[in-house]
Amino acid sequence: MSAHVAPDSPTNAGRALPTLRRHVDQASIDAYAEASGDFNPIHVDPEYAKSGPFGRTIAHGLMTLAFVAQLLNTWSDDRFDEEGEIDIAFVGPLFAGETVEVGGEVEEAFERDGASWVRVKLLATAGERRILAGIAVLPAGS
Amino acid sequence: MGDVFPPQPLTFAVTSDVVDRFYRATGDDDAVRKGPSRKAPSMIASIYLVDLLMARGSPPGGIHAKQSIRFHRSLAVGEDLSLQATVVDKYVRKQRPYVVSEFEARGKDGCLVSSGRITSIWGRDQ
Repeated sequence: MSAHVAPDSPTNAGRALPTLRRHVDQASIDAYAEASGDFNPIHVDPEYAKSGPFGRTIAHGLMTLAFVAQLLNTWSDDRFDEEGEIDIAFVGPLFAGETVEVGGEVEEAFERDGASWVRVKLLATAGERRILAGIAVLPAGS
Repeated sequence: MGDVFPPQPLTFAVTSDVVDRFYRATGDDDAVRKGPSRKAPSMIASIYLVDLLMARGSPPGGIHAKQSIRFHRSLAVGEDLSLQATVVDKYVRKQRPYVVSEFEARGKDGCLVSSGRITSIWGRDQ
């Protein structure tokens, strides 16, 4: 069932979320490795990565997912942190030296247990390449 | 399939230091500036899921392919979480071995904090 929302509501279907941009370099990948304890050599060892599937180091997928959460929390006044759901695929590598752009678009507003929720289509890109795609579901707020 | 890892749940402490490092590593300067009064980000899951995956003992070079997470409540700095996962599927696609695991993170009261599904491409055995 569709939720009742104001004509100019930011949670209307088709409304775009603001874009979040993050430049990722080897230093930031290394910092994420330190924070997470994930020292997988495809992220932190340029020599090892040369012989891997991508030929050079890539950012952790979960790092890109953290950027997505930042976007959703900024847009929703932290409602994603409270009861959000996310379902994504890492569809391409994010290389050291690239800038990732994370965006979204409201697909649907709906009612769940008497509250308003929104479903957001997510996409992260580096230039023309898709890095991450999926959906998030979160409370729409008042 | 059906393997539970680790056999005994992992404990993950949501310390102020862990939260700070997460915010700094993900460029969330606004959150860092909020200081010790800030709440813990739910996506600190991107840190504790690494602990879980390491407990699975996969070889290096693996790739995270898909991720779903449901957050059941907000998280406070200072909480301890209990983490465990179960392998629920394995398959090969385009000659790559995939492993699918479902995880749960629970608070000290035993209630769910987050749950979800991790799909990984298995790394090359050395």
